[in-house]
Amino acid sequence: MGIISLEKSNRLIWLGRYTERTFTICRTLGKYYDTMIDRDEFAYREFLDCLGLPYIYGSREAFIKTYIFDSDDSNSLASHLNRALDNAIEMREELTSDTLCYIQMAQDALRSGDVNSAPMLTLQQVVDDLFAFWGSADDNIASEECRTLLKCGKYVERVDLYIRLGYSFREVEKETFKLINRLTKTRFAGKDEAIGKLQGWMKDAATYEESKQEILSLLWTVLS
Amino acid sequence: MRNLTDHAPQINHLLSRYGVKFGIYKNQTFHEQLFPFDALPRIITHEEFAELEKGLIQRVDALNLFLADIYHEKKIVRDGVLPPEFLYASKGYLPECEGITPPAGIHSHISGIDLVQAQDKRWYILEDNLRIPSGASYPLIARELCRRASPETFRQNDIVDNRNYADMLRDMMDYVSAPGMRVILTPGRYNAAYFEHSYLAERTDSALASNTDLYVEDNKVYYRDYLGESQRVGVIYRRLSDEYLDPLTFLPESLIGVPGLMNAYRAGNVAIVNAPGNGVADDKGIYYFVPHMIRYYLDQEPILSNAPTYLPFYPDDYRFVMEHLERLVVKDVSEAGGYGVVFGRDLSREKLEELRATIQHEPRRFIAQEVIDFIDLPVMDDGVQVPRKADLRAFVLSGKETRVWPSGLTRFSRQPDSFVVNSSQGGGFKDTWVLSH
Repeated sequence: MGIISLEKSNRLIWLGRYTERTFTICRTLGKYYDTMIDRDEFAYREFLDCLGLPYIYGSREAFIKTYIFDSDDSNSLASHLNRALDNAIEMREELTSDTLCYIQMAQDALRSGDVNSAPMLTLQQVVDDLFAFWGSADDNIASEECRTLLKCGKYVERVDLYIRLGYSFREVEKETFKLINRLTKTRFAGKDEAIGKLQGWMKDAATYEESKQEILSLLWTVLS
Repeated sequence: MRNLTDHAPQINHLLSRYGVKFGIYKNQTFHEQLFPFDALPRIITHEEFAELEKGLIQRVDALNLFLADIYHEKKIVRDGVLPPEFLYASKGYLPECEGITPPAGIHSHISGIDLVQAQDKRWYILEDNLRIPSGASYPLIARELCRRASPETFRQNDIVDNRNYADMLRDMMDYVSAPGMRVILTPGRYNAAYFEHSYLAERTDSALASNTDLYVEDNKVYYRDYLGESQRVGVIYRRLSDEYLDPLTFLPESLIGVPGLMNAYRAGNVAIVNAPGNGVADDKGIYYFVPHMIRYYLDQEPILSNAPTYLPFYPDDYRFVMEHLERLVVKDVSEAGGYGVVFGRDLSREKLEELRATIQHEPRRFIAQEVIDFIDLPVMDDGVQVPRKADLRAFVLSGKETRVWPSGLTRFSRQPDSFVVNSSQGGGFKDTWVLSH
């Protein structure tokens, strides 16, 4: 439609954030899950530490069952995906039904997933559906401003998670420049100042290491 | 048809993929569920549809003339065709709409007319829905998905394509619109028909808005973007009830309305689809008078019949209802969605007496109808065809001309021997085919 209300701009940003949160966590969990198979059954605690989540899961099995599949746990992957779908449903006319359906399919895949034998196969399906969602969004969303807000949410979340989960400077830098590229296309009032700061913090690895907390703070405010 | 039913699992998978759901409140909690779909369609022949089409256009044209009259001169009351008690006691009559002529003079832009077909194949009108009739989106998307899952079926049968509903809707909205954009106004995500709101917004290329997106200034409605810039709104297809539409005119406690909207509407600066105040014409009590309206306004005999109906308000009808209550279906005129409908034959002696007492106390609140033994349609139940009661909601759109959508929402009961087909009561839906010759 070309005109985006305040409520819709929020929904687009949070759709981008929750979709990305689900996506990056699915992929990161693979590494921890592999360690938990036969090397360290409590490896999930490191993952929880990174995200500042409490140790409420008493065992490897409880972590997998609850953190991945239980939508009553507000920190779970299932909850993140539900929130993505909640936002997406309200944006059908901008996203198109053909794009929205990939989030619905990801939720269907997670809901029908096998908790007990091979949860990573379920998460693979979720990742595939979310990849398809992003491809479809690029192809189907007519308004460039819509795509920009959606992707701003996506890259804010990605940079935030990459910093918290200990991704390398090079990986964070790459994603930060994707975010800067998107921010330049927005009409947010404080974008130039934010872009300048982000560029400064990504000057080199040492500056980045010293500025992590400032980056995380800026990510919370840059889209408001 | 075998090809289509063989593909039912794929069709249901596609309906799930596209989130074809409706919401329902149980124990004050919102649940969203898939609308059960039966792949076996209702089939209406070309000749049968031609007759229905004539009758529906006639009925909706008369209802539009009635609404224009009732909010202006009230000739139908003055001429003694409609007793004034029925007008002024109707909850749907809104004095706030007195004297307003909506853009293009149309009150009921989208009319959902509920019909059933009796055993003798005659169609009877059960209800006129002129406020916010919902349901067109379900057969619309179902047809799209059935064609995808079972192309052979549509190659072998000559079926009128029903996928023009969004075009019909957009044409109608543009015809009545003041200068400005198209908006579908939704009460929000937790409305029972939210899927429909969002799907129709997508298909008509309209903005789906909640009240916080809209504001009124100088009697004009604007849609505000996230940085405060605005665009004029010309037509609002509202999906919330009259009483919540504008807190400055109707319920002041409404948190989902747009303050000042009625002033903009009254000034002719925005079209509201359907017009506020239409409830007076789809009141179950007023239904009795629709054949009279057709004769009064159009000087024609009604093509489609009402179900035989009695108004306890009239002494003769009151006596008849009291004497034959056990064979009648009694409807509370203030209820909708299948609620407030009681079949006398299902009541114990004690409950019948209670109902008699209630009717005696408030005769204007009820109508009583003969139970039409409407036909069963075949429905697939665990791979077996079973007969189930089904109705048809036909959609009639009034813009430059009055047009009947060549399809409709066929709802069926999922319980044997039940006549209640509403989705809120567990019913399912079918596609409705109109044959092209």
